[in-house]
Amino acid sequence: MFNEIQNLRNIGISAHIDSGKTTLTERILYYTRQIFAIHEVKGKDGVGATMDSMELEKERGITIASAATHCEWKNHRINIIDTPGHVDFTIEVERALRVMDGAVLILCSVGGVQSQSITVDRQMNRYKVPRIAFINKCDRAGANPYRVVKQLRDKLNHNAVLMQIPIGLENKLSGVVDLVSMKAIYFEGDNGDEVRTDRIPDDILKEAGAKREELLDAASMFSDELMEAIFEDRVNEDLIYRAIRYGTISRQLTPVFLGSAYKNIGIQSVLDGVNSYLPNPTQVENIALDLDHDEKQVSLKTASDMPAVALAFKLEVTPYGQLTYIRIYQGSLRKGDNLVIIRSRKKIKVGRLVRMHADEMEDITRAVAGDIVALFGVECYSGDTFTDGSLNYSMSSMFVPEPVISLTITPNDNQSQNKMSKALNRFTREDPTFRSYVDQESGETIISGMGELHLDVYVERIKREFGADVVTGIPQVAYRESITRKALFDYTHKKQTGGAGQYGRIAGFMEPSEDGSYKFVNEVKGGAIPTEFLPAVDKGFKSCLKKGQLLGFPIIGMKITVNDGKSHSVDSSERAFSFAAIGAFRQAYLKAKPVILEPVMKVSLEGPSEFQGGVMASINKRRGLITSSTEDGIFTTIDAEVPLEEMFGYATVLRSLTQGKTEFTMEFLKYAKVPEALAEELKSRMREKTKGDKKP
Amino acid sequence: MRDFISVSPLKILEKSSRKGLGPGNLGVLIARAGVGKTTFLINIAFDKLFGRKKLVHISLEEGPDKVRSYYNVIYSDLAKTLDLTENHLIHIERDRMILAYVNQSFEIERLRANVKNLIENIQFRPDVLILDGLDFEKAGRTIFEGLKEIAKEFEVEIWLSALSHRHIDEINERGIPYPCHELDDLFSIIIQLRPEQSVIFLQLLKDHDNPMIRDISIRVDPNTFLALD
Repeated sequence: MFNEIQNLRNIGISAHIDSGKTTLTERILYYTRQIFAIHEVKGKDGVGATMDSMELEKERGITIASAATHCEWKNHRINIIDTPGHVDFTIEVERALRVMDGAVLILCSVGGVQSQSITVDRQMNRYKVPRIAFINKCDRAGANPYRVVKQLRDKLNHNAVLMQIPIGLENKLSGVVDLVSMKAIYFEGDNGDEVRTDRIPDDILKEAGAKREELLDAASMFSDELMEAIFEDRVNEDLIYRAIRYGTISRQLTPVFLGSAYKNIGIQSVLDGVNSYLPNPTQVENIALDLDHDEKQVSLKTASDMPAVALAFKLEVTPYGQLTYIRIYQGSLRKGDNLVIIRSRKKIKVGRLVRMHADEMEDITRAVAGDIVALFGVECYSGDTFTDGSLNYSMSSMFVPEPVISLTITPNDNQSQNKMSKALNRFTREDPTFRSYVDQESGETIISGMGELHLDVYVERIKREFGADVVTGIPQVAYRESITRKALFDYTHKKQTGGAGQYGRIAGFMEPSEDGSYKFVNEVKGGAIPTEFLPAVDKGFKSCLKKGQLLGFPIIGMKITVNDGKSHSVDSSERAFSFAAIGAFRQAYLKAKPVILEPVMKVSLEGPSEFQGGVMASINKRRGLITSSTEDGIFTTIDAEVPLEEMFGYATVLRSLTQGKTEFTMEFLKYAKVPEALAEELKSRMREKTKGDKKP
Repeated sequence: MRDFISVSPLKILEKSSRKGLGPGNLGVLIARAGVGKTTFLINIAFDKLFGRKKLVHISLEEGPDKVRSYYNVIYSDLAKTLDLTENHLIHIERDRMILAYVNQSFEIERLRANVKNLIENIQFRPDVLILDGLDFEKAGRTIFEGLKEIAKEFEVEIWLSALSHRHIDEINERGIPYPCHELDDLFSIIIQLRPEQSVIFLQLLKDHDNPMIRDISIRVDPNTFLALD
């Protein structure tokens, strides 16, 4: 029986494309007896490696979506969370990083630390993920693991230390020397299953001794006991393990393993490293937000006797219904338990509880804090937090920003229409910042999200994963209108055309509201407008906010105060007052000097300092305002405010400007007035469009 | 609205020989821990920003978000005290640049490259640099010489803050205390902050080349750092 929590590891395997992530994962699943045959990525057998769950990934030989796979190695249970290596898939990456406690960073012994390794590594730093490194492809021509270790130190600021040295290199690679046990390890048999230890070959004995000294030096920084033992010449393996474990978990040390996944060399040692050096769930702090106390941060306890808190981090549609991957952060789950989805307050019952293996699922009856399991048939969104109902905690902020960019998406045939609907339905569940709706005027389907790349990824998935043949329009920025000064209105709506008449008079003023919201203030005295009609007045005003008179964009940031009016005992009605409000609004709106607002994004760019100048210039050219720059080691982070309109195509520009070494993230910051020239251009664009619409 | 300039702590320089620090020069505030050096520096920053000068705030301890929030807090206090009607924050965002150097990343050459970048690539030509968090004890004379060169090269004035200690009472023959007693030739203005009961005294210890003897000091409010005299 495993010690449930102490012997559990939730790890990610993270790497640059083509450094062999999928191959390594495949080998790990093979050695842990999760799969019984090895398929190569882009394999000739057409099967593809096991962890690549999406078609797109299979085709490109890359991994985009995160899925969790369970395996066991030497009395430890390991959940492998497959992490997307692309910067673009932010939500996916964030969720994957969120649920892992440690990671294996794979580097190519030829290519070394490349820009994407830098990006992935920085993301891991952000989420405080301890890691061990594996230098893969030591069998390749030009392999130089020592250079990669130096790059880990210089480029990524890791306190990297070799745990092994290779026995031979390139096509002569035959095994590794373990610097802790000071033994040679060979991986024999057809698939390297048989691990044989032997004495260190004479020709590398001296080198092994020197590297062990370096290892002891580095490890002794984390253990006084080890330091003393070194002086007294009584070092033992246990002391070294403990010191390295401490250094790794506190993210002050990165143990480096090496080998070749393809040649089946060194994988078992990496698995030993995962068990020995990466943290168990109790050694990682997990924070939830207490929604009853203004999203105050609370620390969760990895204890099974506490109230349950779990996060749904990945949904998968299977032939048997929706599969929801969850990580339990606190408490435990049993089949039949009731849970509450915090977002919707909906109660759900834990029906089937399963543990996912590479190609099958195992039904289980109970899972405890720290574990990653899956639920069947639960209607929820990705990113949802579940609790037992006694806690009102959320694992992520409940604030969902409004989309700032949209584009039309049109299926080319009926079949594609169905597929597209399915895809959109699924994506909106997975990602709260992705929306889709049908525009009532044009009948077109519009998708909207947080940026160009964000939408690109989904369009690509609609095509690839769901097989829908779709075309998309040009991205449109979500402009808004807003007034800049106070304007009075006094409007009477009067209609007398036989039958019951309509009468309502409304007087007051509109003015800008500072926080950007709509406010309705009633200052009517003496019943000039009967109370029962005031909601209709409010409704009338609200209906005008959907489309401004300036260019037809939605209106934000307005406070309307009604302070006088008049009614008629017979002819006044809710309808009449609603019309009066619309009339009053139109009367005052243009007098209140409306302007057009555009979304401005908070853009953060991180990359090597050498590109700082060019990056700044490129932001400046885009009407961007650079607000700060942070120097950290060899990296610079630039923060700027840039209009979204100007960010189209920026990813490509930045890539060529910085050799792909600078990454950028952006999020909505505020709406700001567009410059006069752009306002004029928008006006003429709208005029053209209206003309075009009128043509037969 | 009360005029900020009339209550700015930099009012003390009105009494100085050149009425200010001036481009190419270094100025320093000396105070013990907890007296409010950062707040004081930000008040100097507001003095400059209200005068529509362009400013670079260099922070060696905090990241930009923290620095920005310091400015916002101090601004809202100022807005209350001075009854500011116009919102200056919009142009302040445009006229202020924050450069943060974390994890011991600060080097003179790096600062020089960064300032050059601002001028060449985004046409942000600063008038003033505020440097907060430099450890005078560890920095060494070459850092200050480098700063002086930067001040001259880019024609900016640079304000720094220095931490003094109660237990170190070294003072040079010109009356300049630790930790500036061996560096005073590089500074054009040296101001000491002395908290006393319910006020803080600002005393001018060095005024350019003026071998002034006369006592120039003003009192400021310990909460707002606005001049009381």
